[in-house]
Amino acid sequence: MTELNMTAERVLELIEAFGAAPGGWPEAERAAARALLEAQPDLFAAAIADARAVDDLLSEEVVPEPSLDLAQSILAQAPQVVPEQNNLIGVLGRVIFPQGARWPAGAVIASLFMGLVGGYSYASTGAGYDQADSAYYAAFGFDSGNAWLEAE
Amino acid sequence: MSGISELDQITRAASGDRAAQAALVNRNMPIIFRVAYRMLQDRAEAEDVTQETFLRAWKHLPNWQPKAKFSTWACTVALNLCRDRLRKKKPVLMDELPERVDTALRPEEALASAQAQDRIATKIAALPERQREALTLCALEGMTNIEAAAAMDVSVRALESLLARARRTLRAGLHAERVGDAE
Repeated sequence: MTELNMTAERVLELIEAFGAAPGGWPEAERAAARALLEAQPDLFAAAIADARAVDDLLSEEVVPEPSLDLAQSILAQAPQVVPEQNNLIGVLGRVIFPQGARWPAGAVIASLFMGLVGGYSYASTGAGYDQADSAYYAAFGFDSGNAWLEAE
Repeated sequence: MSGISELDQITRAASGDRAAQAALVNRNMPIIFRVAYRMLQDRAEAEDVTQETFLRAWKHLPNWQPKAKFSTWACTVALNLCRDRLRKKKPVLMDELPERVDTALRPEEALASAQAQDRIATKIAALPERQREALTLCALEGMTNIEAAAAMDVSVRALESLLARARRTLRAGLHAERVGDAE
């Protein structure tokens, strides 16, 4: 807000909400409000006095310190670095899984899923047929075999 | 910030760097504790809230998005935890407020601060919850209006209104004190 836009009403609102010290006023309005305050001090004297009384009251506030153990308790719950294993298993693990265990886990899940789908589709063609028929239907489906035979 | 950005510090803390974790705690624990203490008026409960806030922070840090300062995020968490606790507490009428005795203070500290603390703490404790939050964050902890509004999840205008009402109530209390003293 520029000095031209700043009004006495707004300065009074700022004093009422943020106190007598311009340092506590919102940064965007501080300079303009301070300029108006300094230009017409009598206009704001009563509001400043009232606000200062509240500021003084707040400055008397004393809050106890937290106990010394609190920081230690908090740090005890903090995440910790997982130490690297330097034995044979640890070294082998880093060689086999250089990116960590995440990608093989994903690959295992994908393989399992593909196996299940493949197995299911193969098995579902097997009901009532012998092994050769099952292999045939798994390869060509139920409708494409004749077309292939005719093409041959 | 001594040459290291808050985001760097958070990234290091999330990966288990003890120095970064300690720096994060040292910088932010006092404000979180004070905010919780002013809301709950109970040291043990304020410490519980502070600890719970950091427990959530440790879980949240690996996915940290630098949308807000850590202190703002932590104050939001702490305020929510305080609100939950205040909701569960039985309402206490002002004339039933227990005497504020903090045995953890050293005797000389207790002596020096007792009068002032009673006076201001009783007045702050009597404010409605949201006004107390606004006053705590802005007037007592020096947050900017934008940070405090973000921590409280309200608009800047709403925050300003809460602050003005809180100060009006405190001013009226002071006026009543003066009138009482004069009589």
